[in-house]
Amino acid sequence: MQSPALPVPEAPSLVPPALRGILPLLIAIPTLALFHWSLTGSDFATYLLSVVGVNIILAVSLNIVNGMTGQFSIGHAGFMAVGAYIAGYTSLQLKEVALSFLPVSASDQVLFMLALLVGGVAAALCGFLVGLPSLRLRGDYLAIVTLGFGEIIRVFVQNTDAFGRALGLSGIPQYSSPGMVFFWVFLVVLAARRLAGSSHGRSLWAIREDEVAAEAMGVDTTGYKVRAFVFSSFFAGIAGGLFAHFVPIINPGSFTFVRSMEIVVMVVLGGLGSTTGAVVAAIFLTLLPEGMRSLFGALGTEGSLAQRVDQIRMPIYGLLLVVLMLSRPQGLFGTKELWDVLPRWLPRKRRGLA
Amino acid sequence: MSANAQPVTPVTLDTKAPPALLRADGVSIQFGGLKALTDFHLSIQQGDLLGLIGPNGAGKSTAFNVLTGVYQPSQGQVLVRDTKVNGRKPHQINLLGVARTFQNIRLFRALTALDNVKVACRAQTALHQSRLGLGAKLVNAGHNYADWWKALLLTPSFQREERRLTAQAEHLLEVMGLSHRRDEEARNLPYGEQRRLEIARALGSQPRVLLLDEPAAGMNTREKADLMVLIRKLRDDFKLGVLVIEHDMKLVMGICEQITVLDHGETIARGAPAEVRSDRKVIEAYLGDSYLESHGGAA
Ligand SMILES: Nc1ncnc2c1ncn2[C@@H]1O[C@H](COP(=O)(O)OP(=O)(O)O)[C@@H](O)[C@H]1O
Ligand SMILES: [Mg+2]
Repeated sequence: MQSPALPVPEAPSLVPPALRGILPLLIAIPTLALFHWSLTGSDFATYLLSVVGVNIILAVSLNIVNGMTGQFSIGHAGFMAVGAYIAGYTSLQLKEVALSFLPVSASDQVLFMLALLVGGVAAALCGFLVGLPSLRLRGDYLAIVTLGFGEIIRVFVQNTDAFGRALGLSGIPQYSSPGMVFFWVFLVVLAARRLAGSSHGRSLWAIREDEVAAEAMGVDTTGYKVRAFVFSSFFAGIAGGLFAHFVPIINPGSFTFVRSMEIVVMVVLGGLGSTTGAVVAAIFLTLLPEGMRSLFGALGTEGSLAQRVDQIRMPIYGLLLVVLMLSRPQGLFGTKELWDVLPRWLPRKRRGLA
Repeated sequence: MSANAQPVTPVTLDTKAPPALLRADGVSIQFGGLKALTDFHLSIQQGDLLGLIGPNGAGKSTAFNVLTGVYQPSQGQVLVRDTKVNGRKPHQINLLGVARTFQNIRLFRALTALDNVKVACRAQTALHQSRLGLGAKLVNAGHNYADWWKALLLTPSFQREERRLTAQAEHLLEVMGLSHRRDEEARNLPYGEQRRLEIARALGSQPRVLLLDEPAAGMNTREKADLMVLIRKLRDDFKLGVLVIEHDMKLVMGICEQITVLDHGETIARGAPAEVRSDRKVIEAYLGDSYLESHGGAA
């Protein structure tokens, strides 16, 4: 009211403002389609790519809460489970349904998308219910509550007939493909980057930096934290839904506390607050066990060490985390992005969040 | 509200005057057994430049924290333009037009100078009502989520809004002489500039009342004098009511029209600088231990 009304400067961009919003999509969708059709690799490669993609979605979405907002959630696998079971269940129910006006494969993909969204929204709803009471309070309540939430979901599923109890849910149509997974990878990365550069993202960074000051400057810290958490839970649910549609069976064992910790390690390794860091760390930490498995296989210790990779993975993660905390506590990239840490001769963006 | 045991010493209350932008009515607060603030009265109008002084630990910062909703008073009430704001959260009070700085600088250290200011500018554009029914609350929540979608879709209106925020923040940096620091992280700024950036950020929230907690702390005499001139200019240009906490008595004497003196949480004097300076209680408070400590000289 007091400061003079300043003229709003024109956009300095070559791209018309109306187009800027959808431009990345216009580029990404043909690229992804090309990627999808050219991918004729083995089942294993397809599977591995899908797992990498799902982990990227999980890490990037968790980074919004743990990195950008500076809160500490350690129950991401719980939200993934909600998405996986709800989307899987939806697909099972819709198995016999076909949209008559579409070819069969297209109809399947539409139903798949629907199931994914149902799963994502269910996870987001859980995020709201978990987040609202715990994010009002300062401190470590969120960690405790999310930890509890993950376990509650697991126990709930284990005791619910509709979700197959401990045996799990099988026979979910295998609609997923690396193309679809990476479409969502693209969406979550785009969303995270746009959020980070927007006024909402700035408010989240402000909360991370100093919650008291953010409140004093008019930032509704509880509201922002809850929204970030809901947002993050939505994508965890999507990741779960994707996962449910390319593995033969989902059971409570896929969504344990260890799974949550894996995602936390990815975010910390990448650098709390760095979206591209989360991507790089997710790729690295997904391929690492596979690499070890092949390495031990090649060394001829088949059946012993190679199979034990899964058992020794967590100790190695733990060790990695300790080494990281000692040598580079801010993670690989800190709060910077890949393009900020590239060699100097490459063109860079101007410093700042946007 | 709760019956006040102590006699209320009214602040100059002219019933015909417009409601005070910010008012404290008999506010008290305790921490455990410690009475940090007792029966505190204050009234700020537009154009006021008031001083709040007192030795270390007198309760000045506590008064700010009560006025801005960081602490809830155990007695008395805080009013913004005759609206009682007890129980409101700090961000709600800020949105009603009360902005502050902190004694120990609390910038968003990893954010650039520009982004620091933009955070405050942004908050003001959020749809906000303080006392809402459930229906309105839902609408408000829906609006907030829709706002996120605009950011994610990068709609033209969102882009225009971002440019507006940038322009506004740049203007405030210029006012505070910080344009050259636009893209620098706040933590890398020299101390004096950090203090000014905090003021720029507070102005970003478009306040009617500005509360400054020891804005000149750590500055040399010359810088302090410049700052005081700047504060007066801000009051005039932005049509503010300003309340300045200052530990150093001499400094506020120069520019404040009315000074309130706190000691051990009690208001021991209030009035024009000349009156306050010669007040016996004030001299005693300042010549007490803390005076000797901070000035290092023998009385
Ligand atoms: N959150 C708190 N908890 C306990 N004691 C506090 C708190 N905040 C302030 N105090 C005490 O209240 C008294 C007044 O502090 P303060 O308002 O910071 O003084 P100053 O006038 O120097 O700004 C001090 O004795 C301080 O220790
Ligand atoms: Mg103080």
